[in-house]
Amino acid sequence: MSHHVRMKELAGRLTALDPDAGAAVQVISYFDRLADTRAGLEALVRGAAVLAGCPARLVDAGRRVRVRVEPDGTRRDAEGPPDADWPCAALEPGGVPALWLERTGSEPSVVDAVILERAAGAIRLVLDRTRGRAPSSPADDPALVEALLDVTTPEPARLHAARGLGIDTADPAVRVRALAPSDGRPRVLPAGAELPAGRLGVGPAVAVLDLPGSLAAARTALRFTAEGTAQDPGPRVVHADELGGIALLADLVAPGAEPPPDVRAVEAAAAAVPGMLATLHAVAATASQRAAAAEINVHHSTLQDRLTQAEHLLGWPLRTPQGRLRLQLALTMRHLARP
Amino acid sequence: MNQVPPPFDPELAAALEVIKDMISPGLTMDEIDLMRQGPGIEMLARLDLTAEGFFEVEERVVPGPENAPEISLLVCRPAAQATGGPRPVIYHVHGGGMILGDNRVGVDVPLAWAKELDAVVVSVEYRLAPEHPHPAPIEDVYAGLVWTAEHAGELGADPERIVIAGASAGGGLSAALALLTRDRKGPRPIGQVLMCPMLDDRNETPSSHQMAGLGVWDRTANETGWTALLGDSRGGPDVSPYAAPARAEDLTGLPPAFLDVGSAETFRDEVVAYASRIWQAGGVAELHVWPGGFHGFDGFAPQAALSQAARSAQLTWLRRLIGS
Repeated sequence: MSHHVRMKELAGRLTALDPDAGAAVQVISYFDRLADTRAGLEALVRGAAVLAGCPARLVDAGRRVRVRVEPDGTRRDAEGPPDADWPCAALEPGGVPALWLERTGSEPSVVDAVILERAAGAIRLVLDRTRGRAPSSPADDPALVEALLDVTTPEPARLHAARGLGIDTADPAVRVRALAPSDGRPRVLPAGAELPAGRLGVGPAVAVLDLPGSLAAARTALRFTAEGTAQDPGPRVVHADELGGIALLADLVAPGAEPPPDVRAVEAAAAAVPGMLATLHAVAATASQRAAAAEINVHHSTLQDRLTQAEHLLGWPLRTPQGRLRLQLALTMRHLARP
Repeated sequence: MNQVPPPFDPELAAALEVIKDMISPGLTMDEIDLMRQGPGIEMLARLDLTAEGFFEVEERVVPGPENAPEISLLVCRPAAQATGGPRPVIYHVHGGGMILGDNRVGVDVPLAWAKELDAVVVSVEYRLAPEHPHPAPIEDVYAGLVWTAEHAGELGADPERIVIAGASAGGGLSAALALLTRDRKGPRPIGQVLMCPMLDDRNETPSSHQMAGLGVWDRTANETGWTALLGDSRGGPDVSPYAAPARAEDLTGLPPAFLDVGSAETFRDEVVAYASRIWQAGGVAELHVWPGGFHGFDGFAPQAALSQAARSAQLTWLRRLIGS
């Protein structure tokens, strides 16, 4: 039934509301009543479609929810991406769009805005009640993640696992990345998503089927991380695609093997002088000796004294470009050699 | 008696919230004129009878009952050439509590079936109570069936495959028509579709009490409709089964029946009882009680999940009956 049919012609039958008929009140009572009776997601999306007189779609990738309903009330889910011109609403203030009215070619009306606002609010309540808060990652089903990241899983099964995790496999532009946390299972995140807290190797953003490679790179990156404490200074998060040629070191230094001589020298210096490891890391990781002094919160002259002591213990200069490179390599290989 | 009503289906409750200004549960005799002028159930009349050109639509004026005015039949035939010989007929009787409506009210439902089943729809106009009490409505409905059977050839239709169908008062009149044509040995329909039918003038079932003041067509409205049709004899000992089919002693020899009704409406118990009595008489009936449905829910809120299920059950039954 047309969106433009006048309300008085429709009286007595629930169908598309006339945008000029002051229908906002009816929209509000419709969704309030659905919320009161604890109606489900499909009923809410159907309400939006019926009252707006155009298809409505709900996509919440994080909770793996995908519902699309035609204005005649029939459920017809769609694969394609939403149109940027459709009126839409987020489920949370400031969130990404999750509910769309598939209406193009006309300005969104006040009634559309009320429908979106009330439906999104009711949908959020249902999702909070039935599916919990949105997880930080779409990928929290260990079996699906494992299948997706395993290069020996056949491609159709990997694509199926990806869809199960809320990844749109129909869109070739979609990019995802693997994460290797220091504690726990590998995870999969959309390329633009915020990283979780914790010590982490981050794989490069890739097409869905290239995720096993992203995971291998993430695991390598994890070996370059440190606790970020005085005892184990260094970055807690390392991105594989920021390592460049340094990544090659990972193949040369096996975990748990006898460390190279320069690493043994660093260990000996660290054991001999409290705070030495933090000093060495500050010198290696900052752009100037002033910045290094600020980093470990000592006076510039104090830093000079410590560097003289360190050069004596290590047996190579630290105030030349070559010496600093040797120190950086020693500190990096120290991380890689850990069992 | 426990008067707590079953809850409305969530989607239907929300729809009721939106249409409540147009449709109220009760209706008194004084309000009939006002109701006829207002929007009300007239708005269930389909706007485009041709269904975007699928049907050719004509209005036939045909003889009415003996010594009574002519009646009007709305005839909707598929415009395309029939491929498999004469088409089946859906003979439709509109609703409106015996006091409201015309032959366009609710006709979208049989038109949707006919589109699926390649059938002809004939929707009969009958005189309304209280100006025309019983037996005027049922006699008009019967006269229309007789004409349809005798002139089926003109309509490209098969007189041996007529299904009678109606909702609410139209369902009650369809049930009465099945009884009347059986007893008069008139045309023999192959099935009767009784959608939330209005069957019992006594208005004393538990559901009629439970739903007082709620939904659509409560016991006050029901008393108004039956009193308009029957006057002071409503609820008394001498009511004809051709007015109120629940009064029939004999339910044998009827065509297979499809009955549906909502659990949250006045007619629930009389419809369930009528289906049970058909089975007890050795007849064939299929009964659907839709949980949380108010009276006429599938017409007022056709998009709701429950309405879609109800409409689908009707069509499935017709497919099996007509065998297409």
